Amino acid sequence: MKILAKLFAAASLLLVSVSASAVDVQDIVKRANLAAVYPGNDGRAEARMLIVDKQGRKQMRQFTILRRNIEAGGDQQFLVVFSRPSDVARTTFLVDKHPGGDDDRWLYLPGLDLLKRIASGDKRTSFVGSTFFYEDISGRDINADNFELLSEDDSAWTLKAIPKDAASVEFAYYTVKIDKKTMLPMLSDYFDSAGKNYRRMSATKVKDIQGFPTIMEMKAENLRDGSFSINQLRKAQYDVNIPENVFSERSLRMPPRAWVKL
Amino acid sequence: MKHKIMEWAVEHPRSIFWLTGILCLVALAFMPRITVDTDPENMLPHSNPARVLHEEVKQRFGLSDMVVVGIVNEQGVYNPTTLGKLHKLSEEALKIEGVIADDLMSLSLSDNITQGGPGEISFHWMMRQPPANQAEAEQISAWVERLPLLNNTLVSGDKKAVGMYIPIVAKDQSYRVYQELLAVIDGFEPGDEQFHITGLPVAEDTFGVEMFKQMAISAPAAGLLIFVMMLFFFRSAALVTAPMIVAMATVIITMGAMIGMGFPVHIMSSMIPIFLMPIAVVDSVHILSEFNDHYRPGKDKKALARGTIDELFQPMLFTSITSIVGFASLNTADIPPVRVFGSFVAFGIAVAFLLSITFVPAYMSCLSDETLDKMSKRVHSGEKPNSFLARLLRTLPGFTGAARSLIILVGALGLGFSAWGISKIVINDNPMNWFEEKHPIRYADKVLNQHFAGTYEAYLSFNSEAGSADGVEQKAKAILASAPAEVQQQWQTISQSPATMADAIVEQQMTASDETLDYWDQLADVADEAGAAGRLFLQPEYLRYLESVQQALMDSGYVGKTNGLVDLLKTVNRELRSGEATDYRLPTSAEASAQAILAFQGSHRPADVWHFVTPDYGSSVVWMQLKSGDNQDMNLVLDYMQDWFAKNPAPEGLTVDWSGLTYINVVWQDAMVSGMLKSLISSFVIVALMMMFLFRSVVWGLIAMLPLTLTISLIYGLIGVTGKNYDMPVAVLSALTLGMSIDFAIHFIDRCRYMVEKHGGWAKGLDAVFEEPGRAIGRNAIVIALGFSPLLIAPLVPYQTVGIFLASIMVISCVTTLLLLPSIIGLLRNYLFKQADA
Repeated sequence: MKILAKLFAAASLLLVSVSASAVDVQDIVKRANLAAVYPGNDGRAEARMLIVDKQGRKQMRQFTILRRNIEAGGDQQFLVVFSRPSDVARTTFLVDKHPGGDDDRWLYLPGLDLLKRIASGDKRTSFVGSTFFYEDISGRDINADNFELLSEDDSAWTLKAIPKDAASVEFAYYTVKIDKKTMLPMLSDYFDSAGKNYRRMSATKVKDIQGFPTIMEMKAENLRDGSFSINQLRKAQYDVNIPENVFSERSLRMPPRAWVKL
Repeated sequence: MKHKIMEWAVEHPRSIFWLTGILCLVALAFMPRITVDTDPENMLPHSNPARVLHEEVKQRFGLSDMVVVGIVNEQGVYNPTTLGKLHKLSEEALKIEGVIADDLMSLSLSDNITQGGPGEISFHWMMRQPPANQAEAEQISAWVERLPLLNNTLVSGDKKAVGMYIPIVAKDQSYRVYQELLAVIDGFEPGDEQFHITGLPVAEDTFGVEMFKQMAISAPAAGLLIFVMMLFFFRSAALVTAPMIVAMATVIITMGAMIGMGFPVHIMSSMIPIFLMPIAVVDSVHILSEFNDHYRPGKDKKALARGTIDELFQPMLFTSITSIVGFASLNTADIPPVRVFGSFVAFGIAVAFLLSITFVPAYMSCLSDETLDKMSKRVHSGEKPNSFLARLLRTLPGFTGAARSLIILVGALGLGFSAWGISKIVINDNPMNWFEEKHPIRYADKVLNQHFAGTYEAYLSFNSEAGSADGVEQKAKAILASAPAEVQQQWQTISQSPATMADAIVEQQMTASDETLDYWDQLADVADEAGAAGRLFLQPEYLRYLESVQQALMDSGYVGKTNGLVDLLKTVNRELRSGEATDYRLPTSAEASAQAILAFQGSHRPADVWHFVTPDYGSSVVWMQLKSGDNQDMNLVLDYMQDWFAKNPAPEGLTVDWSGLTYINVVWQDAMVSGMLKSLISSFVIVALMMMFLFRSVVWGLIAMLPLTLTISLIYGLIGVTGKNYDMPVAVLSALTLGMSIDFAIHFIDRCRYMVEKHGGWAKGLDAVFEEPGRAIGRNAIVIALGFSPLLIAPLVPYQTVGIFLASIMVISCVTTLLLLPSIIGLLRNYLFKQADA
């Protein structure tokens, strides 16, 4: 009898915990993705990226970033045009992002007068030498990982993401803390196969822009050697109606002056 | 005064024992505070300019000391099994504490830049997963061959060896990392692969570890052998325990004092016990020899002990002082570990002397009559000692008289031969060669350098003087004219310190309000423009100069391979353009170079470029791979390039500097060679002056210097003739040679003058000299020469060298003292003794 009672108690506990995690994790991930990567139909911002190496030396790169959603939560286009330092000014990236598939990426180097396609494949390569990966800027495909709820408090959910294809990434898993109010991912910690936290991304400044909570400053840290990068947005605007033809090969060679600060 | 001390010692043996015991205990109490420093770099003071620069260059380019791992497969390394093991080993290496994961160089962590589809460039991992089949392995082979930075660095040209370079946070971690790697390798299934681990950091750190093991084996082994030899001569375990205690107490007190005073035990100072033991034993053997020869049952042992010390006090004092001078003279070298070594050996000699004149007589006078009587019976069958040694020595007065001219002639010829040998001395060192040839690290070094372009690193760095701030102020004024007051004020502060200006402006650019941001961006442009003059290593002219430097290094024939910014730029340029060999060339403008680097930084390892150039492009470094770490070979490169730079000076405003461990070893060896030579000459002169002073005669002083001169000359002459390198241990041993080879001469001359006077004639006096004093010298030579023979089988070459030196010093100085001195003194006897009489 006693055993039965215990079993019953255990079963009911199990039920409670199941109902607690009945929070729809997939829904949180989806909403967070929309909030972080897809606000507005399009957007424009002037970005400056501070790259600090392990010796503490600072480099800064400035660029304009234009974005246009083709489908919320789906395909997007990006145009990134560098303005500083002067010797890389007008270097331009164009991206047709296809979540779940391979992105199309182009690069124009004015100094070499060279337009190159960048082979699809690994998205976890450095973004222009910073601690950020290409994927950190363009947004990681939410279907690439399995998510589970780790914890929850009044203000945030903390999820654990385990990659579906472990061979394609350098991490074993990461945790991400999503703010309940803004739905923005505020802190991501990446762990290696030894369970060591070696990389961190954090939203250090959030501001409301036209009703969209926007991460104005984001930091990516290499916890192994102390190097880090900060990506800061200025003059962010949404729904500015950037024409589709701005996101074309022509813009690579001839940056659209109306939209890009050089 | 000396009488009082000895009197007191003999009368109060217990106090002496207690004092010695307490001193030893105090010294032992300090031992746990031991700190160990096995880094040969510390041969140079931290403030040495070459060393400061070496550290600064490492910091500037994020260069680390590397553990080199090589996997050799004679069937070729491009197969799934071998590459699989490499992959696994790399993964495990990343987990080892102290390894700088982000900089680890291995195929599995290398990025590959290739042509994708038409007009497409691709960055992908070279070997993220081990190849699944032979075709994939072949693909990796093809990729590597296209990447000059990897080819012949990570995979050998013959494709039979594949390497890993494991950067570590500090050199003193390398032994542990080495052991952990070995443990991983042990877990692999046996196959065609041989694993080799080497590199200067591993060699240096491992040497330190093995050195201490050696110390724990060699010193006691030598001690035991010395004990056995003395037992053979003196036939009393109780009696010969005295010198053993003296030697041990000397070593313990000296090492305790050194550790207690906070000096780390360095490679040099680890040898102090080995140096002090023979010196400490020598004095005691003289005393024991004398005591043993004179003791007969019924004799007053206290009086005999006093008498023995009384007779030997002067020569022992002289020999101790000369040895002290010899070692103290090492202080003239600007090499901190050598100074510590010299000072504490000198200190130890003083301790040994004091113990010899107090502890030994106290000990002897405490022995029971029974023990001494037994000893006496065993030793003296007849009235006179009649051992083989004694009989041999008795023939010498006659022989040196008859063959006087021949002996002197042979001595002179020996000096001539030595001069010729010394002229052929090769000054060379390489910490790798401190291991025996069959040692795994040295063997690995040999094998890997047969396959690869070289496992020894040296760096040639080029630095531009900071860009001028001229004109910045002028242009800034125009911008600031319309700026808000706060910007003007902040600029005022920032522009005060040009060194931090760039960073301070960046700080403002990141934090300024949207309203003031534009001003800061413009000010940044102005500062950037001025600084652009400093962004030299984007400019084709400077890159072409680097290219010519690398070409010259290769042309020298002494360098296995060079890696530099130029190679990286050419590779990226090729892949950006067409992938064809014709595009393997430098970009044609500064912008093109900057953008090629930006493109490269879209890879997995963007920071790799900063190992070749600083982010402000003001400084660049060329890495050299050398097949040999011999200073001689590094010097060939240095000499060749000195000529080359004279003909092809660097563009205006560039400074050129050498660094890297292989180079640093040259610097400290130069300091060592010149330092040792200086100290040898100065102590030679001082000892000569002391001899003249002690014997109150210029001629006697010069005669006393003869055995020493011949010993040093012959030893170094033989080094030259046999082609053995004049290296760190050989250099330091000159002090020991000087300190020890004068000993016998002092004893001989002192006793000779005394005996001739006592017996009232040359012939009788000389006969007497070849009794007790002669036997003491002979016994000493045999005890020390053979006693240190365990060093010869040590796996570390410097220990072997010490063993050979000690034997050579003893044999040569003993033979020259016993043959050459009586010949010369005999030749000059009328002059010498008349003078002495007067």
